[in-house]
Amino acid sequence: MSRDYLVKVTLVWVAIFVLLGLLFWLLRFDVAFMNHWVGFLAQGIGYTLIVSIISIILAVGLALIGALARLSKNPIANGISTFYVSFIRGTPLLVQVYMIYLGLPQVGQSLQALGAPQWFADLFVLPAIPAGILALSINYGAYMTETFRAGIQSIHGGQREAALALGMTPSQCMRRIILPQAIRIVIPPVGNDFIAMLKDSSLVSIMGVMELTWRASKVGRRYFRSLELLSIAAGFYWVMTVVLQTIQGRIEERLGRGRQR
Amino acid sequence: MAPIIKVRNLHKRFRDPARRGQWLEVIRGVNLDVEPGEVVVIIGPSGAGKSTFLRCLNFLEEPDGGTVEIDGVEIPAGVQSHERTRQIIEIRMKAGMVFQSFNLFPHMTALENIIEGPITVRRWPRERAIAKAEELLSWVGLMDKRDEYPIRLSGGQQQRIAIARSLAMEPKIMLFDEPTSALDPELIGEVVEVMERLAKEGMTMVVVSHEMHFASDVADRIIFMEGGNWVEEGPPEQLLRRPQQERTRQFLSHILRDRDSGEPTRP
Repeated sequence: MSRDYLVKVTLVWVAIFVLLGLLFWLLRFDVAFMNHWVGFLAQGIGYTLIVSIISIILAVGLALIGALARLSKNPIANGISTFYVSFIRGTPLLVQVYMIYLGLPQVGQSLQALGAPQWFADLFVLPAIPAGILALSINYGAYMTETFRAGIQSIHGGQREAALALGMTPSQCMRRIILPQAIRIVIPPVGNDFIAMLKDSSLVSIMGVMELTWRASKVGRRYFRSLELLSIAAGFYWVMTVVLQTIQGRIEERLGRGRQR
Repeated sequence: MAPIIKVRNLHKRFRDPARRGQWLEVIRGVNLDVEPGEVVVIIGPSGAGKSTFLRCLNFLEEPDGGTVEIDGVEIPAGVQSHERTRQIIEIRMKAGMVFQSFNLFPHMTALENIIEGPITVRRWPRERAIAKAEELLSWVGLMDKRDEYPIRLSGGQQQRIAIARSLAMEPKIMLFDEPTSALDPELIGEVVEVMERLAKEGMTMVVVSHEMHFASDVADRIIFMEGGNWVEEGPPEQLLRRPQQERTRQFLSHILRDRDSGEPTRP
């Protein structure tokens, strides 16, 4: 692409930002008000990141188990895995969030009615953050199960044969030969999922997790200045996403390097 | 001397998708005895069952009938048991295999490929495995490629590393499944040379190959296979020069003509 062309594209971006600024001015954005609350919103970034990071780690674990179960010859493991993926992928994340936040305590209550002790019933009443993490990791775990399965299956059959021919057991072969290669393959899609999760984590605001979106909507509603605060929140998400995409690009570049001639 | 490989009445069949899943008999009751140190080359047209037979010897393919005995470990077809799984691993440690497509582990360097088996399967300490691997690397002439990844090696180099990887397990038998078929013609020689040295050192070898130089110079016995059965077998000078069966003659004239046509004509 020519330098000239890139300059033009950049100019279009600048023009869009100027127009947006103009729009904000026309809409009488309260800059002082935004300045006052931007710090409070920024504190939500920490929650957003923590919830996303813990969730993606748990989701990777679930996906790995899910994919191995899906590929195993054991009908029970296979059945549970396919059910999990089908059910979670077939229902909205918002419904799953509600089920865990509102539905689980009801399960606890019913169990108590059946004679379970109080402490056991209490286990089903999750605080907001664990509930949010649980919902996100279960949801993303299901999507990533398919990613991991595809990654494992993309490893050429000759790799497995070579490992078995050396005398490895199937599990040694999986651990030492197949998974290390499959993980390289799934890192880019998992990176995409992490970026998507960062944004989907806004859904846990309905559970009262004090993350970015929760803070923006809470304060915005109180002062009828939602547009200002949601714009700040959107900006924060955007910046985080761009930063993560850059990091992801670097990682992919590094992964690619070892495989090149 | 007792044979180190003893195959009795081996059967293997596949479902043939081209014929609506009908059974296709690939190996039809084959017997084979191989003495320690013997080099057996199996030749035959494609689809004859040569590779399948070889892969039944280390149970990469599960035979449907008969028995395979490798160095005193006898495994009948069919029966599944915990004990059998252990025996199959024992057989695989006794019989190394080299593949047509090398199948080196791409995420490991040449050295890491070679020490992987001894460390993971034989539980050797790392230093011992590395010492063995370096010995093998110089034996196949690739010490300078010790820390290269397979993708940076030529086909011939990859196959020599693959041979070293198998040898690191200190097998008593080596199985070669068309080891030079995927190689550019100018790279075949270096792999054949390694195989010849291995044969000279007394390794028991079963080789599926159309590499006629190797067959005529190194093999103790050549078997011609077609349609899932041995058609004819004998020492190279007999099978290659005075084949008894018409089919063997036809096949040999085909591959010898094809090979000659690729060479420059002599005045």
